[in-house]
Amino acid sequence: MRIISLISKALPLNIAYAHCDVPCSIYDPSPAQIAASTVLKMVQKINDLPKNNLKVQERNAFVRMVWVKEEHARKCKEEILILWTDYFKPEHLEIFPNLHETFWKAAKLCSKNKQEVNFKAALELVKAVDGIAAIFKKAEKKSSKQ
Amino acid sequence: MNLISILPLLKFKVKEKSMIPLLKPGDEVIVWKLSKLKIRDVAVFRKDKKFYIKRISKIKDDSTSSRFRGASKYFLEGDNEKESIDSRKFGWIERKDIIGKVIYKF
Repeated sequence: MRIISLISKALPLNIAYAHCDVPCSIYDPSPAQIAASTVLKMVQKINDLPKNNLKVQERNAFVRMVWVKEEHARKCKEEILILWTDYFKPEHLEIFPNLHETFWKAAKLCSKNKQEVNFKAALELVKAVDGIAAIFKKAEKKSSKQ
Repeated sequence: MNLISILPLLKFKVKEKSMIPLLKPGDEVIVWKLSKLKIRDVAVFRKDKKFYIKRISKIKDDSTSSRFRGASKYFLEGDNEKESIDSRKFGWIERKDIIGKVIYKF
């Protein structure tokens, strides 16, 4: 085990694609919803920190919260882009004509939440991702009837 | 000459979901280039300048190859069959395009 770990550290990392495309039940909006909720929670926690004269421990907490917010906004964007580009198909546009705009706005909100500590934007992101989850649920229901 | 061609061991990070549940996106694996390949092995291969990871489901002798007698071709499929794009779509893979077999998953 240790030898493998040591060898592994010396090896360059390449990417291998387990390529997939066809929609199935593995698609799930839950990771995006959890990531969006985490962004909101981090914004609340950052806003709850003292504004002046932060102690070392508070400064450390601030940096960690910003990092978690950044990482979960990135994850949220990645998850919704997978749903947008891999799960949803042109035929879904007939049922959800605002599909592209919904996803585009949600992706933009992920970026905004990376750039800012903005409670309103974080709340909008949670609502946007919940909206996507509702669309996904309807699409799944429709495909299971067919 | 790049590292892919000279090292007997290679490390790959998995992207996408066709090897779920064995391999999830983000998993890292070690590939041994010198193994003899057999059915059920998980292998990394090269296609269109990208690397793919799938499971070997069939092996056949390539009788069309006059240069290499006994050369084989490999049919590789994703474990997550419903989702995978694999040999069912892009056909058999030649031995020269297979990098090696997965021998360790982190």
